[in-house]
Amino acid sequence: MHTSKVLVHNRDRSEIESEENYLPLNVLRLSKRFGGIHALNEVTFNIEEKSIISLIGPNGAGKTTFINVVTGTYPPEAGMIYFQGQNITGLPAHKIASLGIGRTFQLQELFLSLTVLENAMVGCHTRGRAGMFAAGLRIHPAKADEKRLREEAMENLKMIGLEQRASDSISSLPLGERKLVGMARALGMRPKLLMLDEPVAGLAAHEIENLVRLIHSLIDRGLTLFIVEHNMPFVMSISERVIVLDEGFKIAEGPPDDVRANEKVIKAYLGE
Amino acid sequence: MKNSEIDRTHIPFIIMIAVIILLPIIIPSAYIISVMVFVAVYGVLALGMGILIGHAGLFSLAHPVWFGLGAYISGILAARGWVSPGIGIIVSAFFVALISYIIGAPILRLRGYYLACATFALLLIAQIAGGQLTNITGGHEGLLGIPPLSLGGFVFQTDLHYYFLSWALCIGCFWFCSNLIHSRVGRAIRSFHDSEIASKSMGVNIPKYKLQLFILTSVMASLAGSIFCFYLCFTVPSFFGFHLLVELLMMIVIGGIGSIQGPLIGSFVILWLRELIHIYFGKIFPVMTGEVDSIFFGILIIIVLIFMPRGLAGWVEQSFNLGRRTYAYFKGPGA
Repeated sequence: MHTSKVLVHNRDRSEIESEENYLPLNVLRLSKRFGGIHALNEVTFNIEEKSIISLIGPNGAGKTTFINVVTGTYPPEAGMIYFQGQNITGLPAHKIASLGIGRTFQLQELFLSLTVLENAMVGCHTRGRAGMFAAGLRIHPAKADEKRLREEAMENLKMIGLEQRASDSISSLPLGERKLVGMARALGMRPKLLMLDEPVAGLAAHEIENLVRLIHSLIDRGLTLFIVEHNMPFVMSISERVIVLDEGFKIAEGPPDDVRANEKVIKAYLGE
Repeated sequence: MKNSEIDRTHIPFIIMIAVIILLPIIIPSAYIISVMVFVAVYGVLALGMGILIGHAGLFSLAHPVWFGLGAYISGILAARGWVSPGIGIIVSAFFVALISYIIGAPILRLRGYYLACATFALLLIAQIAGGQLTNITGGHEGLLGIPPLSLGGFVFQTDLHYYFLSWALCIGCFWFCSNLIHSRVGRAIRSFHDSEIASKSMGVNIPKYKLQLFILTSVMASLAGSIFCFYLCFTVPSFFGFHLLVELLMMIVIGGIGSIQGPLIGSFVILWLRELIHIYFGKIFPVMTGEVDSIFFGILIIIVLIFMPRGLAGWVEQSFNLGRRTYAYFKGPGA
């Protein structure tokens, strides 16, 4: 049993590594348990470049866990994660971030003691290189970093339309703007893959429209988006492909219309 | 624009340097100079500990240990005549950096109260070791025979010499730390205090920065300790114990948690307040001045926590902003 699993892995692995154009993300039989609960159960799928893939599922289906495992917050129990052909399974979160996977959070997780601009600048962290000594003595690499990161962060704020609030504190922002700050922060590391955790939950209709526009502009800039969301109209209108999780299992995958018609999906959402 | 920005960040340092140079000229009192040496030394300690607690969220209580190690190592090296005092200071700083690396690497994985417990245990162990290793440290009788500090032929003898030396260290550390906190690394440090998961998802190597900051503040404490021991020409373990820890925490809380100038303000206020209490209440209650200042500081902490939760530094900043807003209001919207 065990050996056959390994063989399957090896075959999949060689396939992935032999591909000419690496995909932004390959997930192979990814599993994660919390105690007795299988949050993720042998989940396998790929994400193509410049696409918008959504992950949906009822509450507790393992959607946020999936993002957490891919971005390295928790190590997976089993399975492999490849980012652009590189095995990132079990790497620490900061390494995965510096490879180019950005994320936002369901509850924003903004840095409340920092200003809006400073939040965006922490997002640019991987783009600087000066260490503690250079920073403390304020010598060359630190000074250059500071200037560049400030400009880059400001650009990101401009892109999401929050440049006016750069020096405000996070606590003075309404929810919609906080979510945008989370986006600007994640864009700071210039990710190739951006994982959004419930980006439109709690937003008003016009804010959702703005976000859709922003997401399309990101795709034009070459990003790949992975979205976890509950808002069905938003998911169905924006996604090229939808993946459905239920109790840690992938129960469906395909274009929005197919998924909507899928019996298993209807059952998972509405019950028997 | 750019010039004015640089000028503005330099203003506090220019003012500080000016005050430090002018103070002994305006008030040439040995007593005031001597208290100010302690303000500087304790200021460096409180500054380091304040950054660990207030900015990085690392509740490390081992700070007196690094202070004590710095004092003892440079004191012992100088008293035995093994190396010159100047080199002894550097040797002790390196040694403290090494020890804090060895101890910090495993211990900084702990969070919150667990880190506080572990570092507090370290403090107790160091205390006992300092008292029991009599042939090295001189035990509870203290380490005697420390010669005055000499650097490149210049011998530090008077209070004034140590005053300038300790304030040079203090202002240097203050400058370094305030640059650090407003840099990329400093923002990373403040960010993991707010949200570790978001911080590491932005590519911040949290364990690395925790360890680096821990070592940096330990070395600062060690340098302060070296100056302290050469100034007093004497050290005992009780200088570096629980009492010092409480005093440092008091300085941080009263000065302002999460501000860089807070701990320095705290050091100034606490030490001078204690002097004033000793002067005025010493006459009324000659046998129990220690208890009297505990009562005073207790009341002070309660008042500060109720009325200025961000400490004196936060309160000053708030009043300043209020003043600016009021000014803008009366000047009218056109201005």
